[in-house]
Amino acid sequence: MNRINQKLKEDKKLLSIYFTAGYPNIDDTTSIIQDLEKNGVDMIEIGLPFSDPLADGPTIQDSSTKALKNGMTTDVLFTQLKDIRKTVNIPLIIMGYFNPMFQYGIEAFCKKCQEIGIDGLIIPDLPVDVYHEEYQAIFEKYGLINVFLITPQTSDDRIRYIDSISNGFIYMVSSASTTGTQSGFGNEQTSYFKRIGKMNLNNPQIIGFGISNNQTFTQATQYAKGAIIGSAFVKHVTNEGIDTIGKFVDSICN
Amino acid sequence: MKLKVCGMKYQDNIQEVATLQPDYLGFIFYEQSARHFDAHRIPEISNTIKKTGVFVDADLDFVIKKISKHNLKAVQLHGNEAPEYCKQLRGKNIEIIKVFSIKNEFDFSVLKLYDDIVDYFLFDTKGKLPGGNGYVFDWTILNNYPSTIPFFLSGGIGLSQIDDINKFQKSEASKYCYALDVNSKFEIEPGLKNIEDLKKFKNNLTSKIMNYNVNEKGYYGEFGGAFIPEMLYPNVEELRQNYLKIMAEPDFKKEFNQLLKDYVGRPSPLYFAKRLSEKYNTKIYLKREDLNHTGAHKINNTIGQILMAQRLGKTRIIAETGAGQHGVATATVCALMGLECIVYMGEIDIARQAPNVARMKMLGARVVPALSGSRTLKDATNEAIRDWINNPVDTHYIIGSAIGPHPYPDMVTRFQAIVSEEIKWQLKEHEGRENPDYVVACIGGGSNAAGTYYHYLHEPDVGIIAVEAAGLGIESGESAATSVLGKEGIIHGCKTLLMQTNDGQITEPYSISAGLDYPGVGPMHAHLAKTGRAEFMSITDNDAMDAGLELSKLEGIIPAIETSHALAIFKYKTFRPEDVVVLNLSGRGDKDLQNYIDYFKI
Ligand SMILES: Cc1ncc(COP(=O)(O)O)c(C=O)c1O
Repeated sequence: MNRINQKLKEDKKLLSIYFTAGYPNIDDTTSIIQDLEKNGVDMIEIGLPFSDPLADGPTIQDSSTKALKNGMTTDVLFTQLKDIRKTVNIPLIIMGYFNPMFQYGIEAFCKKCQEIGIDGLIIPDLPVDVYHEEYQAIFEKYGLINVFLITPQTSDDRIRYIDSISNGFIYMVSSASTTGTQSGFGNEQTSYFKRIGKMNLNNPQIIGFGISNNQTFTQATQYAKGAIIGSAFVKHVTNEGIDTIGKFVDSICN
Repeated sequence: MKLKVCGMKYQDNIQEVATLQPDYLGFIFYEQSARHFDAHRIPEISNTIKKTGVFVDADLDFVIKKISKHNLKAVQLHGNEAPEYCKQLRGKNIEIIKVFSIKNEFDFSVLKLYDDIVDYFLFDTKGKLPGGNGYVFDWTILNNYPSTIPFFLSGGIGLSQIDDINKFQKSEASKYCYALDVNSKFEIEPGLKNIEDLKKFKNNLTSKIMNYNVNEKGYYGEFGGAFIPEMLYPNVEELRQNYLKIMAEPDFKKEFNQLLKDYVGRPSPLYFAKRLSEKYNTKIYLKREDLNHTGAHKINNTIGQILMAQRLGKTRIIAETGAGQHGVATATVCALMGLECIVYMGEIDIARQAPNVARMKMLGARVVPALSGSRTLKDATNEAIRDWINNPVDTHYIIGSAIGPHPYPDMVTRFQAIVSEEIKWQLKEHEGRENPDYVVACIGGGSNAAGTYYHYLHEPDVGIIAVEAAGLGIESGESAATSVLGKEGIIHGCKTLLMQTNDGQITEPYSISAGLDYPGVGPMHAHLAKTGRAEFMSITDNDAMDAGLELSKLEGIIPAIETSHALAIFKYKTFRPEDVVVLNLSGRGDKDLQNYIDYFKI
């Protein structure tokens, strides 16, 4: 069974952390992954940087620009991750925009992911119907779970459709925003979380965008299987470097 | 145009026909029909072919049973099924096609009742039986088609109609024609299809009717689509569902045309450039978009989109701009309509386009610097898209060129199409013919070009020339010639040709003209390049500047530097003396004065 599905079966709320590969330094990738696992994080999203990350706010944009300047590419990332499964067992997801994957070749990309032991992908600008019509078979052939986003504006019909195509979890974007723009959840968001909860979807939901501390993490996981932290972690790394990851994780969970 | 083959009956024949990959295969569930499908199951066929059940006033239960038993993707209702009946089939993830039979005339008003209920109409010939009568009806009746719902054309279509179909394709009546439906004219006996004839038909259609317009999924050939994050889906989908309907409303058309006339100053003249023509020994006409209010073609699009935004109930307008031309055109229409306006502009462009920044501010717009990435047009577009993600309900994004996710490229093209619409009748007055030998335009994202080409795309005797900015030269690393340097990729929600690294990172283009300084090109133009329908040329900064100065001296017209690129082709391409070449003079040079001054040390 895919590591993501296994993890989702565990009887606990999941903490997933996003980081931008190649940031702050080009060679930090594996040590960040190992540290995150060691400190009890449940799942990792490895950000493959892109020049024009439309769905991201300033923090992740800046880290992506920096990572590209540092020399990060798809090939470099795959090389860094080559032996990652010798040291970690945590579910690994690559999050990136479609164009770099498209240039690599979707089949070649998926194949490489499988070889390395990547479990899933999040590609915000690959729409669900294009995925379904053109790429689903390839993803499945290589045992990859593709994760789709929903937002407060997504209609119930579309959520059900996305649910029917998903086979891992649904990434619930907390509000109409790019990454990193929220500072807490109000009534509007909690009623959206509740509404989705009541839909009894086949796939569990994990909430992301705007989770930054213990309070927002606790709030979000009241309504969902887990939560994803991105910008707040990138900021932490920017300010404090990569040696105090344990401190960051503790601040979220305790 | 899609193809539906109807009246399938025999297992082997079904599989054989399926190898031709028609878009729909029809199975008739109506006992009185000679082509009644009574086999137990439909054999396995490619899932890209939509299995369609044809019914005549059948029991709903019966229809629903057949849908699930045969995994039908469409139902075609051939009897007197009422709107309420059709409604009950909605939400079943199935396309609903309602048939109407036409004899010598047809009262289209009945269609209205089915408007929000069915996905397609199908028109066939009225005869003794419901369908399959083998005669063709008079397709000109469809000139009066009042709806924007796509339709299937049916009734006696066979190999002998190929020429008629080609003609029909070019007529206004075919605008919403989505598919051809064939049946009895391709049969050995009822229900048994003649593969060779079908093959011939299909090949003839696809080779003769190359479609350069957008298809119903938002693609121009392999280019286009809507590669957008889910956060943008509701906005873009709302627009997609409504843009054609709104544009077809008489009230919309009236207001659009009125504003183009009274506010923009249309029609813009088609001017015979005598001295320029003499110099290059051919007949050159200039379509004077530079004389529009705000000085360029951009306003045609912003007028259209502001009216669209109003009808969608939007109160806040955002836009991106490079040189500031589109920003000014957007700020202008927002002032005109009293709507809030926010324009994103790269920090670097703000510094080098001060007069346009001041104009936008005077017009009441807020100019927000894009500080990310390379801080130019591409990044301003990113920021505008991010704004839209953050403001999903009240905001409309007025994109400034024929780029972005579907339906933007098509919508912008349709608003700019007024350019070639006017050229047609104006040229008729000048030359006694509507079609020139060539149409020429510069291409940034491709909106002035799309408007110039639109009504000529399917006129094979009209050559299309597209002019890109070569910057310091194609090989220099400082260029914006996307068709040469670009590869297929995704930018700003659309699959197109795009300048990028091997690794798929979008690169920065360069051109002296801020309006051509875009790393992609609209998907329509990517398709025109790929199919060879358009000839692409690239012009360097230096050649463009010289051509701008030349036009000023020869004709007393100072062009925008974007347009100067198009004008420079005469140095490199020789036309015959009798050729009529129409060039879109997309903008005036006022905004570029400082550039000209610096370049020529005036
Ligand atoms: C005068 C003029 N022509 C052409 C362009 C290029 O845009 P498009 O290719 O969309 O026509 C611009 C863009 O700013 C412009 O201002």
